[in-house]
Amino acid sequence: MFHVPKNAIYKTVSRRKFLELGGRAALGLGAGALGVGLSSVITRNPVQAASSQDAKWRQYEGSKLVFMSENTPPSFAIRDTISKFYDLTGIEVEVITDGLPAVQQKVGIDLQSGNADFPVSYVQDKPIGSPFADYYADLTPMLGDDTLPQDIEGYGDGVWFENFLDACGRFYDRDRLIALPYDAAVACTFYRQDIFEANTKEFESEYGYRMEFTKDTTYKNMLDYCAFLKRKREAGGNVPYGYAQHHGSFAWTTQLDIQRMMFAHGRWLDWEIDDKLGSRTPPLSNWGDEQSVLIMQKFKDIADVSHPDNLANGTLELNTVYQSGDIAMQVQYHEFAASCEDEKTSKAAGGRTAYAPCPLGESSWIVNGGPAVNGTNCGIGGIGINGNASEDVQRAAYIFCVYATSAKLQYDVLTGLGGTPTRKSVLELADVKAARQRPTTMPNALTFEAVYDHGIRDPHFVLGPKVPEANEYHSIVASETQRCVAGSASAKEACESIKAQIDNLH
Amino acid sequence: MNEFDNSTKHPIFTDDAWGYVVSEKSPTELNEQPSKRFYWFLLTPAITLLAAITIYPFLWLIYMSLHEVKLGPVDDKWVGLDNYAKLLTDAKFWDGWVLLAKYSSMCLSFEIILGVALAVILNNSKYEKVLITLFLMPMMVSPVVAGLLWFYLYNGTFGWYHWLFESLGILGGASILGRPETALIGIVIVDVWQWTPLITLITLAGLKRVPQDQLEASMVDGASPIRNFFSVSLPNIFPFLLIAILLRFMDNFRFIDAILALTGGGPAGSTKLLPVYLFDVSFTYFKLGRGGAIALTLLIVTIILGMILVKIFEDPARKQAMSNEN
Repeated sequence: MFHVPKNAIYKTVSRRKFLELGGRAALGLGAGALGVGLSSVITRNPVQAASSQDAKWRQYEGSKLVFMSENTPPSFAIRDTISKFYDLTGIEVEVITDGLPAVQQKVGIDLQSGNADFPVSYVQDKPIGSPFADYYADLTPMLGDDTLPQDIEGYGDGVWFENFLDACGRFYDRDRLIALPYDAAVACTFYRQDIFEANTKEFESEYGYRMEFTKDTTYKNMLDYCAFLKRKREAGGNVPYGYAQHHGSFAWTTQLDIQRMMFAHGRWLDWEIDDKLGSRTPPLSNWGDEQSVLIMQKFKDIADVSHPDNLANGTLELNTVYQSGDIAMQVQYHEFAASCEDEKTSKAAGGRTAYAPCPLGESSWIVNGGPAVNGTNCGIGGIGINGNASEDVQRAAYIFCVYATSAKLQYDVLTGLGGTPTRKSVLELADVKAARQRPTTMPNALTFEAVYDHGIRDPHFVLGPKVPEANEYHSIVASETQRCVAGSASAKEACESIKAQIDNLH
Repeated sequence: MNEFDNSTKHPIFTDDAWGYVVSEKSPTELNEQPSKRFYWFLLTPAITLLAAITIYPFLWLIYMSLHEVKLGPVDDKWVGLDNYAKLLTDAKFWDGWVLLAKYSSMCLSFEIILGVALAVILNNSKYEKVLITLFLMPMMVSPVVAGLLWFYLYNGTFGWYHWLFESLGILGGASILGRPETALIGIVIVDVWQWTPLITLITLAGLKRVPQDQLEASMVDGASPIRNFFSVSLPNIFPFLLIAILLRFMDNFRFIDAILALTGGGPAGSTKLLPVYLFDVSFTYFKLGRGGAIALTLLIVTIILGMILVKIFEDPARKQAMSNEN
């Protein structure tokens, strides 16, 4: 059927010879694989490394790490410039990025199963840090190790912005540090200054005060703005809706949204626990009390006069709604300022957007006797080391952590892709100070006054709740809050349902 | 004398010529029956493989549902039927069942009606091959990609379908996925879009097997095309429909990729079908014991419903087959 040459190779090799060749090839491949495998197991002598700075950085030359992170600007920036780290250390780092829910699942499986496929990972404070804190390596011994390279600024609480080290690094135990602050997303208000200015006279004639947004603007003011804009729009006016909340498919964003408003009114907390450290065994929750029911109702009132597609938008989609000019205000994380200021993609760019702290609590809505504050929360992404990894891998990973959280890199990310620094020193640089005013080459810097000078400071900042079952807790709060917003449950029913469910969690 | 008797054959055809020893026994008595142990020996590799890939995970699922399971080296804690008892008072578990029943019945109904209608229209049409190829394209798309594609089509800010619905005054300002009342319909539409072609394909194969003589006899008797379809074609394609329904029904109970991309179970838990809840419990909350209990109940109900479906469709199919034989 087919032509077969007389001198075909397979005819010249006997079956026995063929098997012999196959056996040798398999042996060779096996030995090679073993060699490669052994060389990837990092086994070095740290004492030799202490001889010089260069030796400290290069002591794990030739090894490889995998860094699993969220798809945020710092991770992209590190990935795009990873060759610099390789040149400095000789350590190859594969940076894998994904959406936060996927990162949480992958990292969670890796940590809990005793593996170290991801020796370095993103420790987003509540979704990852709270449930998996015990599986991360304690960084404390490495911070003072003179056989490892160290950041010249150090790692004390004072070098980071207020509360950042607590937010992502300390869980349930003050003496243990599991992550260094690497990426910050702090909430503040983005609002359309042009729309506010154009409508302030009409608004003032109706409500008796100016339409403006400052650190003293309350949630009641916001409710008024939304009601005014909605009414005007429905009467045919060329104005956007006032506001939209964070809902969508990722529960944590909704929990953060309601948490900000709850905290703003009397510094209300879910549980009476140390907000910065968290608790493995929280007591019965405060959900269902008079304060929580009142604010849940107000949250729904604001939703009723917000954008009609309110429930569909997660954090990213909400920012798109704002960029497309469909809403006049959003409480958003400050890392999104760069995208809002991009004239190619945003109708809110070109000086139309101004930034203010999160709304202040309305004193007439406070029944628990606490103060009204600008309830501000965050997602502080730390960088942590897998506790399952060998000591040498942990040390190599630490070298990467030092690099990834350095002020120099944070400055590069801020000026490049639009990052959000975690070290105070970055804000002291002259060009960063100048960038706080328009025109600016660092759009995120426009939010720094609202965020770093005000929002993250006590008494406005709310970090927790840090509890081991944080993800189920987020899911319960989000689901019941959305039921209330959708009108499927009253505020009282929603709060009582949250209490009934979360009191059984731990 | 038999005409094939050796004595009448040419010597070349005799057994002696080939060196055979002619036995007095019949051929079936020549070899001893292998022992049962021998059969087990031959079956062992297949059984081992089967056990590794199906039975072991099933047993592990039962084990997990009776324990508080930790992924790491920590010992699992025996909790007996605690995980099942908790499900009895878990409102999300029961809501998940109700939503799954609604979702599955809506998907199946639309897919069967549309799929069969399309198959009938396509059958023997001039452009059958081209059209069936085009119709099959959604099925080739990965469910996650389909979910993301429709997520953008439905998007309230820039989604084309949202604009269309809004322009027609169907939904107002809220997108289909932004309301608890319509979000389930939104995910049903995606499933129908993606999997109706499978029903069409299978039904089309069934229609090719409908006996022409029955159709012609029915037409000669003056039956209309509609009567022809219900009296002749439909009973003949019952076995094919059974396969299609079983496949889709089981898929609906398992596939959540598109739902996770579209809504993640929201808004307000309105699309948190049981498999979505199972995913959350197992891989977001990492409660693997509770997840195991949910998965096992889901598996058992799927098997029972599958058996009921087979029973429902088996009788008409068998009757039809018997009438064909007669």
